[in-house]
Amino acid sequence: MTAAGREAGVRRPERTGAAAGQAAVLAAGVALLAAVAVVSIGVGAHRVAPGEVVRALVAYDGSADQMIVRDVRAPRALLAVGVGAALAVAGVLVQTLSRNPLAEPGILGVTAGAGFAVTVGSALGAAAAPAGQLAVATAGAVLAAVLVYAVGRSSPLRLVLTGVALSAVLSGVSLGMRLMLPDVFDQYRFWSVGSLAGRERAPLALPLAAIGIAVVGALLLGRALNAVALGDNVAHALGVSVTRVRSTALVLITVLAGAATAVAGPIMFVGLIVPHAVRPLARGSVPWLTVHAAVFGAVLLLLADMGSRVLLPTGEVPVAIVTAFIGGPVLIWAVRRYGAGAS
Amino acid sequence: MFTGRTVRRCAALLLALALTATGCGSSGDDGTAAAEGGTRVFKADNGSITIPAKPQRVVATGYAVPPLIEAGAPLVGISTWKRGVPMMDAQTKATYDRLPKVAGEQAAETNYEAIAKAKPDLIVIGVPAPVLGDIDVNRLKSIAPVVAIGPTVPRAWRELSRRQADAAGVLQKYDATKTQYEAKAAQLAAKYKDVLPKLKFAHVGAYGEVSKGNFQREFDGSWGTNVANDIGAKYYGQVKQKGTGSRSVSEYPSIEELPSAFAEADAITYSVNTDGSVPESVKYVLDSDLWKNLPAVKAGRTYPIRYTEAATYRQAMMTLDAIDKSFAPLLKQ
Repeated sequence: MTAAGREAGVRRPERTGAAAGQAAVLAAGVALLAAVAVVSIGVGAHRVAPGEVVRALVAYDGSADQMIVRDVRAPRALLAVGVGAALAVAGVLVQTLSRNPLAEPGILGVTAGAGFAVTVGSALGAAAAPAGQLAVATAGAVLAAVLVYAVGRSSPLRLVLTGVALSAVLSGVSLGMRLMLPDVFDQYRFWSVGSLAGRERAPLALPLAAIGIAVVGALLLGRALNAVALGDNVAHALGVSVTRVRSTALVLITVLAGAATAVAGPIMFVGLIVPHAVRPLARGSVPWLTVHAAVFGAVLLLLADMGSRVLLPTGEVPVAIVTAFIGGPVLIWAVRRYGAGAS
Repeated sequence: MFTGRTVRRCAALLLALALTATGCGSSGDDGTAAAEGGTRVFKADNGSITIPAKPQRVVATGYAVPPLIEAGAPLVGISTWKRGVPMMDAQTKATYDRLPKVAGEQAAETNYEAIAKAKPDLIVIGVPAPVLGDIDVNRLKSIAPVVAIGPTVPRAWRELSRRQADAAGVLQKYDATKTQYEAKAAQLAAKYKDVLPKLKFAHVGAYGEVSKGNFQREFDGSWGTNVANDIGAKYYGQVKQKGTGSRSVSEYPSIEELPSAFAEADAITYSVNTDGSVPESVKYVLDSDLWKNLPAVKAGRTYPIRYTEAATYRQAMMTLDAIDKSFAPLLKQ
């Protein structure tokens, strides 16, 4: 046996063992996701008996309780899964692409672009209905991402700086418009705090399908991102086209974060927290990091959404407030961990 | 014997007395005429304030704008009040447009220099007590006496607008409109006396913090219900956790609670815009299958109500007309 053959012979069982471990983690994550999703459609402002929840799914008879489960809670749970996965995967991509472990999808201007578009759309009367709001928010997110990429595509640092600068400009202009137009401010303030409530009749099929395709795209891109994460020169040496990977990743971030923000409004911290939380499980593999982030991002948003329904006796709070409460301490933990790692 | 000089002095004195007695004296530009006409102590949200007995130059802001325009108060400046514009008749709207705007929609947008330039002898502030903190009342007090009379619970617009009119010295005209309203309400109460008392009403509102996923339920005495109350409609139930102001008579439950909230309702009213269109927050409820499954909806007993933000008797008469038009089918059932 040659030296190379011996090395391969040693590595293969290691790789197989690692893959089995990752698969076990994934299976546990999916089981947890399924369990949380079932609990999620059983919990809400109105008490529905567990038996009725099951009957709503398998033997629907159109009673009020079953309607609540089928028409209100089930679409909401589906939306939480899609948005949670989208934000978490977008977080993985943006952190890997920018080589900045504290980056989150909004740093590339997508959220500010959507917010600016909603403000302008409200001023023009185009964002009053859910479908209109969805359309203008998506358009704003896409335009902002295109602009950021056009200016900052030469390096990750420039990309981030462009995103931050554009976000500041768009947020400032939006704020000015809202101060001058109280009606616009009124519409914007409900959109600006991300929520999964009341979206059950919005046209969600297209954004959820886009999220699904983009998550698959991110998985396929994972191996190339592994190389890019090692630096541009190493990636070139490994035969990876950095420019192509970077532009593809940016398109995926735009679709994921743009679609999630368009349907639910800005939800901070999910894209930041989840990649950090699952990174130890992925053991340095970007594809596995992407898979785990998708699953645990969905779990986190389902849990946060359940919390948003039951935490206050006075009624629901938007899910973005719950994620912000969780996100604050986790952000401090992440900064301390990053600082410790860097020193 | 009277000399010519004495006669001229007596004539001047008599003329001055006559002008003062008839109120025909020049008000001048310095707003001192009212003070010459005497003062009185007026009890307002900000304490007992000494104000002119017969104000000549009044500045009104917020909720005080519509009642004081309608009652013909001697206004020299007002705040903008866009939410009230759709409920103004042509004459009121013309006066609203003509008057100088000395403050914006928000209390924080008060233009102190514009108010000083208007040289008022009375400033009537119609904003809720918590919002009063956004206004520099001491600065206003250096210009003219300030009375703050702001909204509390929705149905209290009756007393509050009357106090605002009283402060501005136009109570007589205000009370004439009040009498007209009460007569009209009594007439409609008689018209529906065989129908309304038998029904348990519920109301879907469009006011305040309505966001996606919830709805506003209004009880007796709220914006959407208080005028209907005056003709005999009773809205059953009460707020689960009472707050202050409109929160004491309305709440914002999740859409999931729609079936349980309205299960007992025989009839449901809902707020619509002044042009009759359905607001987005109400449309969200009306489009849901949970709404279509309600007993009152299945029975066809749902009634839109326009002008639910009425805060003067003249506006409330428009609400009465709208309710009468909407409730008409009840008389045929």
